[in-house]
Amino acid sequence: MKLTVSGKTNDYSEKLTVKELIVLENIETPEYVSVSVNDEFVKSGDFETHLLRDGDYVEFLYFMGGGC
Amino acid sequence: MALTDDQLQRYSRHIILKEIGVKGQKRLLNSSVLIIGAGGLGAPVGLYLAAAGIGKIGIADADDVDLSNLQRQVIHSTADIGKAKVSSAKESMLAINPEIEVDTYHDFVSASNILDMIRKYDFIIDGTDNFPAKFLINDACVLAEKPFSHAGIIRFKGQLMTYAPGKSPCYRCVFKTPPPPDAVPTCKQAGVIGAMGGVIGSLQAMEAVKYLTGIGDLLTGYLLTYDALKMEFRKIKLPFDKDCAVCGEHPAILSPIDYEQAVCAI
Amino acid sequence: MSDRIIAEINEIKEKIDITHLVCPMTFVKAKATIEELELGEILEIRLNDGEPVQNVPRSLKEDGQKVLKLKDNLDGTYTLYVRKDSE
Repeated sequence: MKLTVSGKTNDYSEKLTVKELIVLENIETPEYVSVSVNDEFVKSGDFETHLLRDGDYVEFLYFMGGGC
Repeated sequence: MALTDDQLQRYSRHIILKEIGVKGQKRLLNSSVLIIGAGGLGAPVGLYLAAAGIGKIGIADADDVDLSNLQRQVIHSTADIGKAKVSSAKESMLAINPEIEVDTYHDFVSASNILDMIRKYDFIIDGTDNFPAKFLINDACVLAEKPFSHAGIIRFKGQLMTYAPGKSPCYRCVFKTPPPPDAVPTCKQAGVIGAMGGVIGSLQAMEAVKYLTGIGDLLTGYLLTYDALKMEFRKIKLPFDKDCAVCGEHPAILSPIDYEQAVCAI
Repeated sequence: MSDRIIAEINEIKEKIDITHLVCPMTFVKAKATIEELELGEILEIRLNDGEPVQNVPRSLKEDGQKVLKLKDNLDGTYTLYVRKDSE
């Protein structure tokens, strides 16, 4: 299936969860990343069960604390 | 009141702009902005807003200028080392534009002082370097219905978003709660390229000017991310979270909260 | 020039002289003055030949104002009549 992840469209295997995608994409500080799928937030408690579908677009939103 | 000839000259490049003109410049002269944090982000924000003729600028920071600040905090000079950052920032802003007013708050923002502080200003800039402050500013601005610009910078990356009361998702819609102290690196531990504050802080100043003059489209409902190494800007749509603890349908947060500071950020 | 325009020009609200200014202050001064007028009011501007007479009327037009007349004073200056048509 095709997913658009952080703006880039690529082929992914079927039945992928948000959690699996986080691992696959090597996401930094995965415990604290926010995820939106098709412009809706996925609650972090649902990462393991939320199945991605063909055509979904996924964004990872990271904490960025600096300003100093 | 009509602008003086000196003001026409000082602000001529604004006045020529159809979107701003004399009317927009007068709005800027009659408006006020509070900058929280006189660091990498607050420095360019303060300089540009002073130059733009924002009538009243508040600046809040508890720290003194340190040699390690000068690689990026362009509002402070080598001669300012040891001075309160707010005093140094005030001097720089008034040197650029003596006709503005600068209020200084030589203090950390906290649940006990933030609402009184933000109440006096039209727009708030989050130029802080830690999550407790970022959540505090978000919650206070949501509760007090104040627009603000949030930003963060680290290494070669930066991001920002604008909050407009009742019209856009807030920071807490995206990030539910601060990460545990020291779980996510800050620029103190991870480093930051000096010009990053300039890029992102200038965008924050731009949002303030747009909001105050009522022109264009604000960065509300979006997070703009910048990756300097890839030279890539991305504008990511932010949904509302109807369960948001501060701006959602049934808010649990009814007053500002002081979160625990990371050891390294103190 | 129609009688109507002549009649309008007789009701000049404000006059400025920008012959002592250079670009872009020529336009800035004209624009700032016209912003203080009400819609329909007329501003008379004395300006120099050359760059000012080329640019100021054009810039005011681009700003949505109505240039009614440009009169050559035959002394190296012009007189421009502009009606405020746009806020």
